[in-house]
Amino acid sequence: MAKNRTNLTRAIALLGLASVFFITLDLSDSAVTSRMRRVFGTVFSPIENVSRVVTRPLSGAWTAFREYDDVVDENDRLKEEVALQEGAAVAAAASVRLAQELLALNGLPTLAGINSVTAQVIGETPTNYSQIVEINQGSSSGIKVGMPVLNAAGLIGKVTEVFGDRALVMLISDPDYALSVKVVTKSSRTPITLPPLPTEDAPTVDSVLETNDTSSTSSSTSTTTTIFGFTPSATTVPADVVAGAGSKINVPLAGQLAVRETGILEGRGPGTRPIVRFLDATTRAAAIEVGAPVVSSGGSRSLAPPDVVIGVVSRVIERLGTAGPILEIDLVADLSNLSFLRILLYQPITEAGR
Amino acid sequence: MFERLLRLIASRWFRLVLVVFIVLSLQTTLFSEVRPFGYAIQLVAIFVASAGSVHDVRTGAIVGLVSGLMFDAVLATPLGISALVLGAVGAGAALMLRSFRDPPWWLRLLAVSVAAACGELLMPLTQAVVGQGGWLGLRVISAMSVTFIGALLIASLFIPVTRWTLREKVLLGN
Repeated sequence: MAKNRTNLTRAIALLGLASVFFITLDLSDSAVTSRMRRVFGTVFSPIENVSRVVTRPLSGAWTAFREYDDVVDENDRLKEEVALQEGAAVAAAASVRLAQELLALNGLPTLAGINSVTAQVIGETPTNYSQIVEINQGSSSGIKVGMPVLNAAGLIGKVTEVFGDRALVMLISDPDYALSVKVVTKSSRTPITLPPLPTEDAPTVDSVLETNDTSSTSSSTSTTTTIFGFTPSATTVPADVVAGAGSKINVPLAGQLAVRETGILEGRGPGTRPIVRFLDATTRAAAIEVGAPVVSSGGSRSLAPPDVVIGVVSRVIERLGTAGPILEIDLVADLSNLSFLRILLYQPITEAGR
Repeated sequence: MFERLLRLIASRWFRLVLVVFIVLSLQTTLFSEVRPFGYAIQLVAIFVASAGSVHDVRTGAIVGLVSGLMFDAVLATPLGISALVLGAVGAGAALMLRSFRDPPWWLRLLAVSVAAACGELLMPLTQAVVGQGGWLGLRVISAMSVTFIGALLIASLFIPVTRWTLREKVLLGN
């Protein structure tokens, strides 16, 4: 009896010590654990692939059984939505292009200048306590730890583990995910409207280029060194920029420009909206409107380049005292239905070398 | 040398690693997509609890440790977390049946289900201890319930599998 008890105590002590040893090793970013994972991934990958092929009919049957009605409803709804969005999309695309060209003209970084890799989601998280998906591209495609991942709608997460031909992506809803973001709020002041310029005084494409020639060349060089993989595109002024000669020009007041409140976005698990915290304590909740867009703030230590769309404010929770408000965010990307993803080949400085 | 290699290949621990590979592949493919009520049934935890229920505490803990390390290598969680949790699950299942000389099948099934469900509670707790908090909430109860019911259905398949996997075998006439 006493021997049995000793054996039991020894087994439990061994289990505890071994686990604590491995946890400590891994949390201190040991190269041994990374190598172990990589070797295990290489051995396990073919077994997993065979299993995926064998079980595909079963998982397909489950999906069909569970989601058929929802898919039919969603299809009808999406058809209507697509019809509504088609017109808006054309106008939005034109605005985005114009904004990108303006940014490039001023030597500011844009997403268009960052290379990307397209990947497909091949697996979901096997546990109930992590929000991770597996994609079918890895280090052989240039993917590295920390790179931001987007789908057609917006930001969905970041790469956390990379293998030769696959990688793991932590979703934005994971409680371990945090990203600096900015909330673009509106101002209530009205713009000043100037009378139309006479046609002969209106700027031409040549004059605009001449004026900005020196500054754009020098600043584009510095941008390339700041963000890896960023190359400013050709800076041409579209015709409609100067075609406004003769029409009224709206000059916004400084206070009329969009106000950007910065904070930290944190995931809160599946089915729960992420929140933005650490907003400036002086920010009044009333200054932030429901529906205000939330985009990544960028910056040298940020996990994502600036202005990647994340979502919109769905609720503003005001707090007493010096604590700033908390914002609940509706993500634009549907994390429950991910298929094709785009990985921006932009590695944050904080993740460099991993 | 060759004989030693054969011994190793024929050992129950080598067999265990091979079987866990298959269980793990099912967990990361079929059972990560088949999610009743949005929760994944923890197949690996059920396997470990089954092993604990048909063997002793030590075997249950070691099976949990090995399976957990393999599971951690697949997941992005710190290596050792699942090992600790699954080790406790395996040992727990064995402890529950310790006072019974020959437990009836339904009691074994119940012990496996309870141990596997407890694993679903231990996982977010352990994660919180190592600084990966945020998972402790009401959804833990739902996750436990899904794994409990899943274990009731699946454990009867796993019990003979673990019995075969961990069977001691005499090789080469020794």
